Amino acid sequence: MSALVVGYDGTAGARAAIREAARLAPLLDAPVVVAFAFGTSPVGGEVADLSATLRERGEALLEEGTSALRAAGVEVRGELLDMKPAEGLVALAEREDAQMIVVGTYGERPLKAMLIGSTPNKLVHLSERPVLVVRG
Amino acid sequence: MTTATPPAAPAAAVGDKGLKKDALGFVSSVVIGVASTAPGYSLAASLGFVVAITGVGLQAPAVLLVAFIPMLLIASAYYYMNRADPDCGTTFAWVTKAMGPWAGWMGGWAIVVADVIVMANLAQIAGLYSFLLVGWDSAAASTAAVTAVGVVWIALMTAICVIGIELSARTQVGLLSAEIITLVLFAAFALVKVATGDAGPQAVDFSASWLNPFEVDSIDALVAGVLIAVFIYWGWDSTVTVNEESKDATEGPGKAALLATVILLAIYVIVAIAAQSYGGPQQLIDNADDVLSVLGEQVFGSPWDKILIIAVLTSAAASTQTTILPTARTSLSMARVRAMPEPLGRVHPRYLTPHVSTTLMGLLSIVWYVGLTIISENILFDSIAALGLMIAFYYGITGFACAIYYRRELLRSVKTFLLIGVGPTLGGLMLLGIFIKSCYDLSKPENSESGDSWFGLGPPLVIGVGFLLLGVLLMILWSLQHPGFFRRKPERADPALLEGRA
Repeated sequence: MSALVVGYDGTAGARAAIREAARLAPLLDAPVVVAFAFGTSPVGGEVADLSATLRERGEALLEEGTSALRAAGVEVRGELLDMKPAEGLVALAEREDAQMIVVGTYGERPLKAMLIGSTPNKLVHLSERPVLVVRG
Repeated sequence: MTTATPPAAPAAAVGDKGLKKDALGFVSSVVIGVASTAPGYSLAASLGFVVAITGVGLQAPAVLLVAFIPMLLIASAYYYMNRADPDCGTTFAWVTKAMGPWAGWMGGWAIVVADVIVMANLAQIAGLYSFLLVGWDSAAASTAAVTAVGVVWIALMTAICVIGIELSARTQVGLLSAEIITLVLFAAFALVKVATGDAGPQAVDFSASWLNPFEVDSIDALVAGVLIAVFIYWGWDSTVTVNEESKDATEGPGKAALLATVILLAIYVIVAIAAQSYGGPQQLIDNADDVLSVLGEQVFGSPWDKILIIAVLTSAAASTQTTILPTARTSLSMARVRAMPEPLGRVHPRYLTPHVSTTLMGLLSIVWYVGLTIISENILFDSIAALGLMIAFYYGITGFACAIYYRRELLRSVKTFLLIGVGPTLGGLMLLGIFIKSCYDLSKPENSESGDSWFGLGPPLVIGVGFLLLGVLLMILWSLQHPGFFRRKPERADPALLEGRA
């Protein structure tokens, strides 16, 4: 079966998403792709060192996320995306022909979510595939 | 699950850096280039000071044109250094590569200092225009009130940069279009009113000589003007560095940078002509710290004058983003190679921004702004002149770095020789000349806003050189504790960089 794509950034919500993926993967007989997306705005220039820092952080996070799933006996790999989170997850899901995208939520109030830019919110609108949002 | 959507894009398109290449469209590239220079705010804050220089007066548009020449030459250095090391794209990294760690550290330091100083000026304009927007003139006249609101602006903008609010490219296009349209309307209204004789007795008819730099009374006046005017193009280089990420990396970027440049030059020159034509030089001088709000009121009449105030405010807001962000990223770059303390290299776990660097820059800006306002507001304006020294220093050193870094490749072709060797060196020399000349001018106390004398020297020079010396001191102290970075050896350009593309 095609994969589950899980967005992971190390926060409580993301860990909940990993747990949910660990539960679903055997039931759906699906491998899991854990993704960390870190697109930075080119406004303000000098993106690359920041990107490199985020890339290092992302690699560590992916290691953390995938090892949790691997320990649960799930077939899993990590994917680092140099794109904005929502766009990156959608593109990855398309590429993987994924069954669904699983993400966690911080459980923020709508106003704050709007200001900061809520990835689950955007995903729900952008993705043509099912999106599962797990409360952290 | 849907099967209607075809599995798009082969593996190469996602992951790593693949898709980032398409992230920026042509329009966004142009917008980022123009927005980074914040034309509305830059003009409001500097045109009056240029006109005020004895010997410049109505030749201000010519000075704006001349000031662009060194920037153009330095942009060539940015373009080629960016090609050599697109992964950093900052004076700090490039100068370190070409001229060694000590020069590189000072380049990075100059960027940080320039940004802290300009934040104070930006906050001043933002605070003032906030009150003008709501028509609260008595508050606008109060230093304490303007400073308080200015501090709120810095805090707010710093917070925005920390949480990485999505002022997306689309929002920027909207804001910037509004700014440009407003400036163009202002210029059109002002010029039509002058032409029809409705502008009042202070108006001056346009003369082509305004654009002729040779009409400026003396070289001294021209240099003094250029030193201030260089400031208005500051930030323009980000068009060149952003380019590598634009769509169609071989063709689009060049065109986007070119178009952004033409737009900027046109805005500056036309608006400057309109402003001095309508207001007359004396009015620009009297309101040097904010030229546009006063003229806007006269040209548009109430309540339409508000749109010009909004234009300057949005310009200041956009400019903060393009000021704090690169500074925080420069200090992050420096921290990553242990040229600055490690915490500055941290990123926020959730917002993925360099929050320690960003917050520190915001705090330093507030301390600088409030401190100077308490000591003397004149010094705040003097610091604009000091800012010119910083910008001249780090742009100039980048120009030299380019020629030095590519020194073995310069004779490859005429184009290489001119664009990588002669151009950046000439730009570097011009900025060095401006730096030395203005050090000399600023050393005279009577050339400062206050007329005060510090150690027998003008305050702007003491501020500018003081900051550079402080940098040297900090650098030495840091190198004693963390010598690793300072052991780096300068590198040379890899010949392959220019193969087939230059």
